[in-house]
Amino acid sequence: MHAVRNGDVAKLGILFERHHRPLFEFLARVTGNAAAAEDLVQDVFVRVLKYRATWRDEGRFDTWLFRIARNARVDYFKNRSADAPIEAAAEHPATTPLASETLARNREVARLQRALMLLREDRRELIVLARYRGMKLEAIADLLGVEVGTVKVRMHRAVRELRDIFLQLDEGASWNTTNSVGSYPTA
Amino acid sequence: MEHDKLGRLLPDGVDPRDADELDATWQMLGAIESPAPDSERMRARIDAVIDAIDHAPGFTRTTEGRRHPTRGYVLQGLATAAMLVIGIGIGWFARSGGFASGASRPASNDATAQIAAMRAEMRDLREMVSLSLMQQQSASERLKGVTWTGQLDRPSGEVVTALLDALMHDPNVNVRLATIDALERFASQEEVRRGAILAVQQQRSPLVQIALIDFMVKTNERESVAALRRLAMDPQVNDAVRARAEWGLQQLG
Repeated sequence: MHAVRNGDVAKLGILFERHHRPLFEFLARVTGNAAAAEDLVQDVFVRVLKYRATWRDEGRFDTWLFRIARNARVDYFKNRSADAPIEAAAEHPATTPLASETLARNREVARLQRALMLLREDRRELIVLARYRGMKLEAIADLLGVEVGTVKVRMHRAVRELRDIFLQLDEGASWNTTNSVGSYPTA
Repeated sequence: MEHDKLGRLLPDGVDPRDADELDATWQMLGAIESPAPDSERMRARIDAVIDAIDHAPGFTRTTEGRRHPTRGYVLQGLATAAMLVIGIGIGWFARSGGFASGASRPASNDATAQIAAMRAEMRDLREMVSLSLMQQQSASERLKGVTWTGQLDRPSGEVVTALLDALMHDPNVNVRLATIDALERFASQEEVRRGAILAVQQQRSPLVQIALIDFMVKTNERESVAALRRLAMDPQVNDAVRARAEWGLQQLG
């Protein structure tokens, strides 16, 4: 990042190789839309170039990067609120028969993914950061600009709401006979 | 990597039964599949951005760490092939002394004229490819098109018009940003300066607005002062843009 900050733009390629997967995963899980996540990853790296002078050595690079990603996501959906709603998990029909136990399990997981997408976005983001990015509480607190205690309280609320939505979802109405574990639509 | 146990993430005093139930949900979250990026496509898009910016003035042009996109673009391939053919033609003319070996004028004059004509053709071809790429549906190809304009020796007015059009109307922010960089070399043209001033008032993307403000400062465009002042005072405008506009006004004095 030092090199990029000093104008060595080609080094952005190295940063991209190191960080695009976790960034993509974060954005895809939060938006539920792989195509949007791809666009956003690109936008994030353009912003890295644009705002490279604002990066400070003492800060953690990934926290800075995720902060940019959060802003990019907000801007992206601000401009597309009408035509690009957050999508839930795709419902692809089964291509191979599965054992009934696996089928039931997969249905549950798919229902949970749907519940996750129905959760308020800030709460979904918190879960994604902790569960999938493995971010420490301190790093999340730094990213969100709140105290660690506040993160814990919000986390409790977020997971409880997720569970409530999960339990309330009528499996029969929402999920037909799909046996796919949630996947990410690309359109 | 993942927080496998929820307990550590919850506040003190949560009912243990409640914590156990929530932990079951937490565990199940681990079964949701991880989305996989199309890394190659994304890398190609980033390389296009790097190319676009790397060719702008003020950036170091190094290639370390760069991987060129493995997917060639059809237009570029065709252009390269055509340029190769023309290049071979130029070489052939130069070596053979041209067509007019028996004519009254010295043969070398004809050959020189032919070579000049072919070089002009190569220029036209490059320009045509740039313009064609800028009309493509894919944003990364349009970015390539904008980048190619930076390699044109003496681009025509059509290229400048296409860049201005992209600045005003391209739906992709990255293309518009690259366009601003590409337009810098034409900043002495009245049309470009007027277009940039118009754009800074019409664009809604903070990134593009900030880049345009920087453009005004770099090119010392004093005609933009009124537009920047309006931006700086508009409460609807993004805070960072307003701050940048104020900075721009100070720079333009």
